Amino acid sequence: MSMKESMKHLFLTAILFGAIRTAAQDVVITKRGSERIALDDSGLSASAEGASAVFARTLRADLARSGWFETVGPGRGEFRLSGTATARSEAVEARLQVVNTATGRSLLAREYRSAVAEARRLAHVAADEIVEAVTGRPGFASSRLAVIGKRGTAKELFICDSDGENLRQITRDNTISLYPRWSPDGKRIVYTSYLKRFPDVLMIDLTQGQRTRLAAFPGLNAGGAMSPDGRFVALILSRDGNPELYVRRLQDGMLTRLTNTPRAAEASPSWSPDGNHIVYVSDVTGRPHLYIIGREGGAPRRLTMRGSENVAPDWGRNGLIAHAQNVGGRYQLAITDPATGETRTLGSDGADWEDPSWARDGRHLAAVRKAGGRSGVYLVDIRGSDPVPLLTTGDWFSPAWSP
Amino acid sequence: MMKWRGWYTLLSVVLMVGAASGCKSWRRGRTPDAGPGGTGVVVDPEFGIQDVGMGDERIEGAPLAVKFEPVYFDYDSSQVRPSERPKIEKVADYLRANSRLRLIIEGHCDERGSAEYNLALGERRALAIRAYLTGLGIDPSIIQTVSYGEERPAAEGTGEAVWRLNRRGEFVIIQ
Repeated sequence: MSMKESMKHLFLTAILFGAIRTAAQDVVITKRGSERIALDDSGLSASAEGASAVFARTLRADLARSGWFETVGPGRGEFRLSGTATARSEAVEARLQVVNTATGRSLLAREYRSAVAEARRLAHVAADEIVEAVTGRPGFASSRLAVIGKRGTAKELFICDSDGENLRQITRDNTISLYPRWSPDGKRIVYTSYLKRFPDVLMIDLTQGQRTRLAAFPGLNAGGAMSPDGRFVALILSRDGNPELYVRRLQDGMLTRLTNTPRAAEASPSWSPDGNHIVYVSDVTGRPHLYIIGREGGAPRRLTMRGSENVAPDWGRNGLIAHAQNVGGRYQLAITDPATGETRTLGSDGADWEDPSWARDGRHLAAVRKAGGRSGVYLVDIRGSDPVPLLTTGDWFSPAWSP
Repeated sequence: MMKWRGWYTLLSVVLMVGAASGCKSWRRGRTPDAGPGGTGVVVDPEFGIQDVGMGDERIEGAPLAVKFEPVYFDYDSSQVRPSERPKIEKVADYLRANSRLRLIIEGHCDERGSAEYNLALGERRALAIRAYLTGLGIDPSIIQTVSYGEERPAAEGTGEAVWRLNRRGEFVIIQ
């Protein structure tokens, strides 16, 4: 065993013990790059149909979508996934094991059980645990997407699973609903609605089905984004005569105005992972670009210099800001590191790519692809695999991953 | 090298002991609850409850059928062009002659650009028209703005012939 290999194994062992997890992640990431881990899943057995087949099929699709694995034949995998999925009467049950084939060590040996109707959901949960056991990084199969769908002349709020399945309509207001964003606990969605004729920022409690108005001042109320601690909401309001960035304390409604740009518009706030800063769009130079400001205000710092426009930022938990950049009249997805100011664009296929949202693995984005008058939601691997369509029947906008 | 191997062996032994004791009953994986939004959420259609202290009132009431010409804007601009001013002056005359009425100004954008940014741009267009009206002596408290961004185009399609019709401000007189 080479030094490098035994280092790797040490680190993988460490993952199991939950120790020096950060170091383990770094090793996996830098070692793997865009290569895929060879996974032998030939030992995973299930019935040809029924709930156990749904479970196995969903699990395999999730592992492929995670971007980490390529499936290989028996005996050729770095890791082996085996187990059985069975369905009897009301329940689906699975026993799964992941083994490092070089060492014979078991990374995961778990039992999963749910109602038959939840077989897909169960598979998403198992897929995330497998991804985390092997790579040390969270999976996103069990997260959900909030998304806006067009229904006639109206736009309504929907939620679907990470694979675009299980689509549910949340609002039936027959009005315009825009820009959903999740609360940090994943139980609420903040968005903009014209239910009362004017754009208000509303919050839907998904467990209760109740709505609260977070901002309904004269003029524009938009951009609602909850802080990582859940105590504040960033807003774009024009109550003082011009669209500006504000922060509102939810407990008592106290407003703090952060920007003062009488000749410019602000839009699209997104909080830093530590909650100390907000990235937003401002056209104070005449064109929309990204700026960062402290949560209490102060002097904003211009972040993006390239491209004719930089819009729709989403500050990920990985510290990177995903956004759309206009280059030569086309919008491309771009990722800017606020620490260095460096921007990487993800390239173009001739379509417009807009409104990116980080998945919790810090590797994938959901984004809108606009082409030929149609608007669909795709999953984009920032390491360069082909985008995967998630919602392409009908027109879809503003995807947001749940935490 | 030997140092790493030694650690590795030690950890493996600990692991095997752990695995052996865990073999009788498999560890339970996370149980999938339906989760928030997992099942059909029924959103209260009556909504309108727990407001967080809103402050100023909004203009409410039925719109009148009276029509005014839309005010058109240049691309990415919220400046009222001199050629558009007479349209706003007509509205000012009407409001002066009908002193009990109020006005909602709608701001609109063409489909190009970020939809969320366009919402702010549309608001600036409506506010620019409002500022011109108040400059003509109209009481600002009877005028409110609503931006639709690119959500309510006047004309469907693409190209400048369509876009120039969509970059606009519209007037809704409220009883």
